[in-house]
Amino acid sequence: MNNLEKLKKAFSESLAIPLEQVTDNLTYNTIPEWDSTAHMILIAELENQFNVMLDTDDIIDMSSVAKAKDILANYEIEFDA
Amino acid sequence: MAETHTHHPELTGYQISLRPVSKDDLQQLKNWRNDPEISRFMLSQTKISDEQQTAWFNKICRDNSQQHYIIVYKDQDIGSLNIKSKIRAKSLLETPIIEPGLYIADPRYRNNILAFSPTLLINDYCFETLRCEKLVATVKSDNQAALNYNLKLGYQIVKQGELIEIALNFEDYQKCSKSLKALLSRSPRPVKKEQRN
Repeated sequence: MNNLEKLKKAFSESLAIPLEQVTDNLTYNTIPEWDSTAHMILIAELENQFNVMLDTDDIIDMSSVAKAKDILANYEIEFDA
Repeated sequence: MAETHTHHPELTGYQISLRPVSKDDLQQLKNWRNDPEISRFMLSQTKISDEQQTAWFNKICRDNSQQHYIIVYKDQDIGSLNIKSKIRAKSLLETPIIEPGLYIADPRYRNNILAFSPTLLINDYCFETLRCEKLVATVKSDNQAALNYNLKLGYQIVKQGELIEIALNFEDYQKCSKSLKALLSRSPRPVKKEQRN
């Protein structure tokens, strides 16, 4: 599984939404499934999948799928094909 | 002589700080309060004049039953928060029931996990420093986002209606806020990341 697939799976499972719904534009609090509780589960899942420890600034900034990619890139996680 | 600032402590935690309102904040507060995006979920939508606001500020400087703060994140003012004794004759140090109220004025942080930080900080202060027994709030029934937000923090619905009354005790707050607090308290930045940058 490549990093993009891992990322989509983490979002899909944490927010309990179909994989197809995980696009760059998906944003915190714009769907009922991505609320604060799901956000906490998502952070834990991303940390587990990519073996990183996010700091609070990153957790606050992680407001969309696109942002998640940018933030994880700072931890040397690449999403290029 | 007219007061220029209020007399309660600045609070810091969960990445933000709560700065007591000073006279210098009044113009910004008036602009925020009169912004329809902010006032639409308030109980009153009446526009505030300069005179009304000056009178309000002079009152809160002398009133020990309420405290008003500016929410600050990364040196930027992003919103406003207040707490009031629910029992008018009692000060915040004496009252068993406190009513908090807040809005995030900066649209970048309205739909953001950071919006929990000021509430966590003031709730800790109310329960642990002011030693109140219960927090209460009133939410307009069409403000589902605010209702969900408060329920996540452990508030229970006390009365349904056009205005929904909710309440929170310390035990429920501790139970429901534990994970959020852990998430918003992480620091300092991990060494691993700094080494890579």
